[in-house]
Amino acid sequence: MREKVKPEEKAEANEIAQACSTCFEVPIGPIHPALKEGIRFTFWIEGERIRKVDIRPGFMHRGIEFMGTKRNLIQVLYLAERICGICSISHPLAIVQAVEQAAGIEVPPRAQYIRVIIGELERIHSHLLWAGVAAHELGFDTLLHYVWKVREPVLDILEDLTGNRINYAIPIYGGVRRDVPPEKYPVLKDALRYYRSLVDDFVNFFLRDPSIEARTRGVGVLTPAEADSLCAVGPTARASGLRKDVRQDWPYFAYPDLEVKAITPEDMGLEVRGDVYDRIVVRLLEVVQSIEIIERCLEEMPDGEITAFPKVAALLAHLKKAEGEGIGRHEAPRGEVIHYIRLQAGEEAPVVWKVKAPTYSNLMPWYPMFRDQEIADIPIVAASIDPCICCMERVQIVRDGRAETMWREELLRLSWDKTRRIVGGLGASHVAREGI
Amino acid sequence: MRAGEVLAALQGRLGERLRNPEVKAETVGYRRPRERECLWAEIAREDLLEAVRTLKELAPLHISIISGADVGDRIELIYHFAVGYGTETGEVMVNLRLTVPKDDPVVPSLCDLIPGAQTTEREKIEFLGVEFQGIPDTRKLFLPDDLAVHPWRKDEPELAGYVRRTVAWEEKGDEGKGEARREG
Repeated sequence: MREKVKPEEKAEANEIAQACSTCFEVPIGPIHPALKEGIRFTFWIEGERIRKVDIRPGFMHRGIEFMGTKRNLIQVLYLAERICGICSISHPLAIVQAVEQAAGIEVPPRAQYIRVIIGELERIHSHLLWAGVAAHELGFDTLLHYVWKVREPVLDILEDLTGNRINYAIPIYGGVRRDVPPEKYPVLKDALRYYRSLVDDFVNFFLRDPSIEARTRGVGVLTPAEADSLCAVGPTARASGLRKDVRQDWPYFAYPDLEVKAITPEDMGLEVRGDVYDRIVVRLLEVVQSIEIIERCLEEMPDGEITAFPKVAALLAHLKKAEGEGIGRHEAPRGEVIHYIRLQAGEEAPVVWKVKAPTYSNLMPWYPMFRDQEIADIPIVAASIDPCICCMERVQIVRDGRAETMWREELLRLSWDKTRRIVGGLGASHVAREGI
Repeated sequence: MRAGEVLAALQGRLGERLRNPEVKAETVGYRRPRERECLWAEIAREDLLEAVRTLKELAPLHISIISGADVGDRIELIYHFAVGYGTETGEVMVNLRLTVPKDDPVVPSLCDLIPGAQTTEREKIEFLGVEFQGIPDTRKLFLPDDLAVHPWRKDEPELAGYVRRTVAWEEKGDEGKGEARREG
């Protein structure tokens, strides 16, 4: 073991106590109402104001990169899809680029357009999901239920195109696994028209509502200089006025044809303030932008092949011979995803695989956002970067006065015990019928 | 920003110490084809701060990630920078590779130049056992405080124990799941 944590934590606590004799230390998390995922915030609070914060992730790290180096590349692709539970397409879209670069695979144009369509549909559903969560964090649950209701059609479309509401398994090295056939265009266009018709409602409910404005204007401010030096990404960076968007800066797939421009609040005629309100503005504008991108894709998408390797066995053989390294970047709904991969000839598994999710880059910008904010604003400031913790981390810990690692055997045993307790209450005939 | 400009600036400052520089260009897009570029190069750890200062003077600088690997008796780190965000196709991916011996895995920290580099540097401390000189916070970030191994190091005897336990559970060994099935 390297550095012990405790002496440093103590030194830090002393430093705060000296600086602020009236500060109280308030731990929030790892399980807390601000976020459905495990992360621990420790706030030093003076009255109602936050004077300092410490953030400790690491409660859902699954060691996915390590697992990836023990599996063949096709298995790694499916593993990558399971890094994030919300924007499940983001990591596959990044890893296919990295592997295609490393193995020198040419992708048919139609496949690149289909990747864009699925990626943008994902952005619409993810931004709507976030808008609902943000409304909930503000205590506006009516709006949460409304937004999540109107989010359903995009999930239905994704299910229609891919066979699943989440984890679509569409990209593969060299192309995509399923086409978007012309007979699906009308349904897709209908859904896009439906979302266009809702834009005015969204603007009224989110941007013209006095209670939302009162809770988000001037709250959780990230200045452009802080966003730049702390390397913020995605809507968090753009809401602070940085025109930073991988689709524009370092284009990929069919994005160069679609002329994507990074969106900031200035595009709605607003002055950039870098607060939570601005983050709502940027995400709403991006929903409109995604609708436009998909419409253009449907018009311009060329016919042709959808994959360079119709047979998976040929693809695996090609990948086994490949040697080289590559990087793949994708602008996920939350910001930049980057995958670095190194392949060695004769090896089925990647020798090195590094994954970076957007929340990883947006962790440092949280510190200035929380500074001098009120306790009541903790949930919305935390949610404003649209954090995805399981995505950022990739061991299960029980805190019972001390940190303890729980292994899968123990978790499964606990699950069996529970099943036995339930079955015990149901009687022997049920056990025989259910085959438990 | 073009990769040629970045390369000229880095060579101007580091000269021969920028080893094996290679510009890789790719054409992307079909109706409006665009060229996007990557620069790969190797540097010594003594030159890292100078190189990053040079990049920072050139254009807006973003550090995407530091990737790392155990390559025998050395640890390899690749710094992936995105130089020049904000304009269409204006970004160059600059990938600077450096290696450090395992018995002296010390690298200067970038936190003074790019405070946002702290997360990725803290991750490399826990996963690879690299030391960063000048980093303001060295606590664990993703791994449990009591985990004594560096999971990406291939020479960690304790790590092999963790892996054996997991693999046995996945029925690649005889213990673990067989026993579990009997119980189930």
